[in-house]
Amino acid sequence: MTERDISGLLFAAEMYGVQLDQLAIRLGVSEPRARAIAQRWRQQGHAESARLGPGRPWVWLTRAGLTACGLPYQPIPPALPRLAHLRAVTAVRLALEATSGYAAASAHWRSERRLRARMGSRVPLREHVPDGEVHWPGEPGQAAVPWAGECWAIEAELTRKTVRRTAAIMIEILTRTGDYGCPAAEARVPGRPPRHARVLYLCSPAARPTVLRARDALGGALAARVEIRGLPPGAGLAASGAGATAAGTTAGRAAT
Amino acid sequence: MIGRYLGFLALRGVIRLLARLIKVAACVGAIVMAAPVTLVGAYAAALAWVLGWPPRQLYRAAACCLPMLAAWLAAMAVAGDPWQRLAAAPYLAWLAMWHDIAAGAWPLAAVTIAPVAIPLGLVAGGLGWSWRIYSMETGSGGLSPSAPAAFDQRQWRHQVRAARARIAAPGAVPLVLRNGNVVAGATIRSVRHPALPLAAIPYPRLRSHQVVIGTTGTGKTTLLLRLWAGFMTRGLQLHAAGAGRRPLLVVLDCKGGADSRRVAERARRVLRGAGAAATAIWPDEASLSLWALPPRQLTTTLVDMIEHGTGAAAYYADVMEEIVRLAVDAPCGPPASAADFLARLDAGWLSMAYAAAADGGDVALLRSASRHVGDIALRFRTLLRRLGGGLDGPGGFGDADAWYCILEGTAEITVAEAQARALVDLLAWYATDGAAGGTGISGTAGAGGSGVGGTSAAGTGGRREILLAVDEFSAVSRRLPIWQLYERARSLGLAVQVSAQSWQGLAADEDERYRVATTADGGIWLLRTPHPEPVAALAGSRRVVDTARRLLGVPLWAHEGLSRAEGTPVVDAELIRALGVGQAAYIYRGGVTYIQVKRLVAAPAELASPVAADHAGVRPASQVASPGVADRSAAADRSAAAGRSAAGGGPGQAPAHPGGAQRPGLADVSALLDEAFGKEPP
Repeated sequence: MTERDISGLLFAAEMYGVQLDQLAIRLGVSEPRARAIAQRWRQQGHAESARLGPGRPWVWLTRAGLTACGLPYQPIPPALPRLAHLRAVTAVRLALEATSGYAAASAHWRSERRLRARMGSRVPLREHVPDGEVHWPGEPGQAAVPWAGECWAIEAELTRKTVRRTAAIMIEILTRTGDYGCPAAEARVPGRPPRHARVLYLCSPAARPTVLRARDALGGALAARVEIRGLPPGAGLAASGAGATAAGTTAGRAAT
Repeated sequence: MIGRYLGFLALRGVIRLLARLIKVAACVGAIVMAAPVTLVGAYAAALAWVLGWPPRQLYRAAACCLPMLAAWLAAMAVAGDPWQRLAAAPYLAWLAMWHDIAAGAWPLAAVTIAPVAIPLGLVAGGLGWSWRIYSMETGSGGLSPSAPAAFDQRQWRHQVRAARARIAAPGAVPLVLRNGNVVAGATIRSVRHPALPLAAIPYPRLRSHQVVIGTTGTGKTTLLLRLWAGFMTRGLQLHAAGAGRRPLLVVLDCKGGADSRRVAERARRVLRGAGAAATAIWPDEASLSLWALPPRQLTTTLVDMIEHGTGAAAYYADVMEEIVRLAVDAPCGPPASAADFLARLDAGWLSMAYAAAADGGDVALLRSASRHVGDIALRFRTLLRRLGGGLDGPGGFGDADAWYCILEGTAEITVAEAQARALVDLLAWYATDGAAGGTGISGTAGAGGSGVGGTSAAGTGGRREILLAVDEFSAVSRRLPIWQLYERARSLGLAVQVSAQSWQGLAADEDERYRVATTADGGIWLLRTPHPEPVAALAGSRRVVDTARRLLGVPLWAHEGLSRAEGTPVVDAELIRALGVGQAAYIYRGGVTYIQVKRLVAAPAELASPVAADHAGVRPASQVASPGVADRSAAADRSAAAGRSAAGGGPGQAPAHPGGAQRPGLADVSALLDEAFGKEPP
């Protein structure tokens, strides 16, 4: 088990599951090589793979793999209705991790799966959990990036919600003060600094107008903490075919 | 013979007249001679009459004057006067006073006699006032038959006026006295209780069961808020001193609606002032996890939350209980959420779960009852949907110092009953095992729950001093066995405070009402209510002297009559019916104290935050009104409003920084985002 294997297993575990082309980008290898690695993981009983939907096969960790990684997650394959979303979030993570600032600042990604695990199986029905968090360690002015010390919430928006619902989610994220899994009384304590300095929305073309309007509805100080960008190339499920790997490969090169 | 008899009668009349004149002259002479004492006494009695003071107040004032007398004597001793002169000092002062008066030195005369005259006058006034009260209470005083009743009514008005003046004086009514007693307000009148200016309740009584009865608009909420704040303040004081466990207040407001939410917000502000670190408002802002209950208790609670009949329906109730038990006690562990539980109420799931079980009994039971599983699942799906997400976690009672739980008892009685049942079961479990076993928040089980800023019981692992206040109890009294909780609450370290609008609203039947009221060993608070007799009767009666006098003619009494002792109720039901807003009768151990409740002035509501602070999410501590879980919608509104004001425009205006350009106070991340996701179109 090489360091690359461990990194790949952890990545697949954190993201619920990962498609082979994205795994290849993450590992910094070609797709056939990634397939061979995944095959080895299967033989070791650490992972399972199957063609769950359009595009490349998915790889996810088995109970043995999760145990080996020391992660307290449920060993379940990625849910079919969430495949597109999971791929989009993984693409966002890969794109962010490929930037120079990310590596220079030693930032790290905290996945939705980890956040939900902190909340246990009793995730409140009405609570919104972001698709991920990016933590930028260090003190402002003393780190590689000026936004050091911030924590960003990441939201990948593929489908269009209502403006009201989107705005409510934005407010919920931006006004939260406690960590996920904290006591209910600490989730939003007036007077404490917000947990998320900003929320980063990565939108599909269909969802983008709604998200923009929701940000406009917030107005002023809160809206200023909402960043909206388009999803990176290769984030779509249908794009996981052969023609969609170009941008991903670029990101992968940057990551390696 | 007749002439001699008439002469004797005339002589007797003259002698009687002379005796009376001598008596009057002697009295007038004594009054004049003791003029300073007489003046002070008359003034003191008049003051006591106007202010409705009890005689004890004058005696206490006289006692307070004794240091002045001692200082006066000490000054004379220091001046070298022999002890004989000191013993005769009052007499000498009296003589000196008259000499000064004769000389026209009135101020000097007053100063000379004051050290003696003031204490004596106060005592004399107290004795005179005491005699007046006694004669009116026994019916032996007054000129007319209606004089005692009129005197009592007048005194009540005077006492109310004095009590209102007392609570209006700034700083006159603290929340907690130095001895730790919790002050409810100013005393109007007391019967068989000490006549003190402030009505203070020892903290242990707040840790006992109490009952509060009062109709709408009588100040019940004000009283309850004061009691809760007192409980919290004193409990935290004791906890800080290491003499007690941290207090936990749980309020079940069974009325619901907008009014309950207003009260909840007010309670939060008041409790914040009382020292509560966090007040959670359930289910609007915080949630609890029903699934944190141990499996056996969870099964019982779930089954009890479902309405089921008796007779033939008992069979289905038994089937339901067994199915629920199988779902909860499944080999893979108890359910973690409502969705998890509902997923288990499936014959296929249960068969799979118990397929490998060594006990064949469960499998056989499942086989025979499998055709009912779908119906049971339907009932629970409906129930859990109506209950909402408030019981689906995460969260536990250890997460806050106070929980204000709003149950929609007016709009949805059955839902409120089920919620009340679940909450009480959760609290009872928390009171017994929960503090040691976690509050149900994942990741904290076994640590006693997670605390609020390190202030909850989690850190100590100890249990909490719990006060469960059930407001508008009638809404849930059908399904909530509060008297059962009452009877076992002491061992749980749990006090129960039940409030209702009337005696009838206290419980479903008379037997249960009496069980609730008679076990209220912390006392009963009675506000204005149209039917106070059952509660008033619990205070018992007292022996008083009643006098029947001969009527000379309307409306005058003669001086002849008969007196006899008889029992009269301690609590005057008519007085209860006529209580004003903010007035309450506290009944405890056969006595009653009528109180003018002091309203607690809460901290002001949260204000809109300054722009510069809010855009970074930080507000000045002075503006932090509530530490608990912020109302999502309210917080959203506030934040949005603050945000709009920060942008300098209204809701319809465009944001000041569209497209993620440079933001005030936030570093520009455009370069990073451009690198990761490409440049934004203009």
